Amino acid sequence: MTFKNNLKIILAENKKTIDIALSYPIFLVFWGIAPLLWLLPFVFQGKALVGGMSSASFKALTGSANFLPFILIGTMVSTYIFSGLWGVGNSLREETYWGTLEYIIASPTNPVVVLLGKTLAEFILASANVTIQALIATFFLGVNLTLAKIFPVMVIVLLLLIGFYGFAIAFAGFTLLIKEVHGYVHSLEWVFYLFSPIRYPVEVSSITKTLSALIPLTYALVAIRGIILLNKHIVNLWQTMLILIGMDIVLIIGGYLLFQYLERKTRQAGTISQY
Amino acid sequence: MKQFIKQMKHYARAVWAENIKEWKVELTYKPDFIRGLIDPLVYALPYLLYGIALVGGRNSKTLQGLVGSGDIITFVTLGYVFIGFLNMALWAMGFSLRKEQYWGTLESVFAAPVPRWVFAMGMAAHSTLHQGLMISVQLLVINLIFKLTINPAGILPSLLVVAVMLIALYGLGMMIASVTLVLKQGQLVSEALSGIMMIITPIAYPLAVLPLFLRKAAMFIPTTYGIMTVRHFLMGENMGFSVATSFFRLALLGIAWVTFGIIIFEIIDQRTRRTGTISHY
Repeated sequence: MTFKNNLKIILAENKKTIDIALSYPIFLVFWGIAPLLWLLPFVFQGKALVGGMSSASFKALTGSANFLPFILIGTMVSTYIFSGLWGVGNSLREETYWGTLEYIIASPTNPVVVLLGKTLAEFILASANVTIQALIATFFLGVNLTLAKIFPVMVIVLLLLIGFYGFAIAFAGFTLLIKEVHGYVHSLEWVFYLFSPIRYPVEVSSITKTLSALIPLTYALVAIRGIILLNKHIVNLWQTMLILIGMDIVLIIGGYLLFQYLERKTRQAGTISQY
Repeated sequence: MKQFIKQMKHYARAVWAENIKEWKVELTYKPDFIRGLIDPLVYALPYLLYGIALVGGRNSKTLQGLVGSGDIITFVTLGYVFIGFLNMALWAMGFSLRKEQYWGTLESVFAAPVPRWVFAMGMAAHSTLHQGLMISVQLLVINLIFKLTINPAGILPSLLVVAVMLIALYGLGMMIASVTLVLKQGQLVSEALSGIMMIITPIAYPLAVLPLFLRKAAMFIPTTYGIMTVRHFLMGENMGFSVATSFFRLALLGIAWVTFGIIIFEIIDQRTRRTGTISHY
């Protein structure tokens, strides 16, 4: 297959996935707003524990006393992660539900190319959700998201997602082998919530701080919060960017090889069509 | 009378059989079962660590002023136990009929010679036992890590409150279960309800920090009284109403939710039979 043909397949798969998503518009609106609903208990918990919207000990840990923007940024960036986990990681399982997995596997296309199309669609859909969240955060919650900060933030988000989508593609291979991964995806979600600074600063405990260093999301969140909340320049975050690039290379190569291995193993076992 | 007792025994056997069937299905997938035991623990920890990060320790003067106790770990942990009960109603009970549909056994269950409420009681019994196990693991591990400070004399009355609250939650679970017969994919309803209930029930904060309209809405949710009364017994939370009032309101909510749940269940059951959509996927 030529590059041009592969590109056509990626765009066709992207269109198909977006068309299916747009068939259920209520889901799109709901998942744009729901993460902000989940944020409210943290706001009320903060008010109950410190009597306002800022905390001195929170500032000592994060450099910013106001906890609302801290959690908002965690919510928005994690929207990309969780949409990738469900949308890409679980996508081949969805094809099983629809009865179309065999067609994809039997077609003369590398399944990784199909997964790239799904990844592109997931990125577009997650970006739409994050835009809804960013608009609500800017106009209703008073978070300062200026256009000048959006470009460097997007650079960090892309560096995070390149590696993460590599992981998600490997996870999609895992679903070919063990089929039902709904529970595992949920567990992974909670691992991210617990060991990366989505909802709280991991520096609060030495255990979470150490384990969070293994997760790329930690570096991305620290960098993005640095840009938005502490007005850091992206150039000053070069070390974080280098770590993310290194993790991207490992995750993309590792993810691709692992997917190929798992797909081959499932074909050899003859269990592709099993439910 | 003899006939009535015989019939009740027959129903009790069906309830037990439904409970045992659910355990057998779940224990067939052991890694999933173990993961299910750990999940509630992993779910609660970020909220505890977030509290510690805000306060810089485990005692908050602001919380002390609001509820009479400043121990954020015990306060939040006892609140989060009730998420398990909410999940039981919204997800475990709520999706039990949909699950039967996935397995292709809904028609067989509905054709069995027992009333629908017997099936509902069976799923309620299983959900309660399973949730009880998950909550026990959650409390045990959090106690090992953080050492909860509770009044042991409050444990028995707390269990009584939970028992009364569960009756109301069974009504809610029955309502959601029947709604899935119409909507089929009812995840969004459960997600939305779960999100709203997470906000208005005083899980990690007292009612005092909520806006007035949310405080009023919280008064119709059984878990509000469950959480506050249990925390009152175990850590001396000031509720703003007496224990007797709490039991009375819980009992009223129990009657209201169960009646509402049964009525909705019956209406939807008859409608899906009439329209012939029970077997639709």
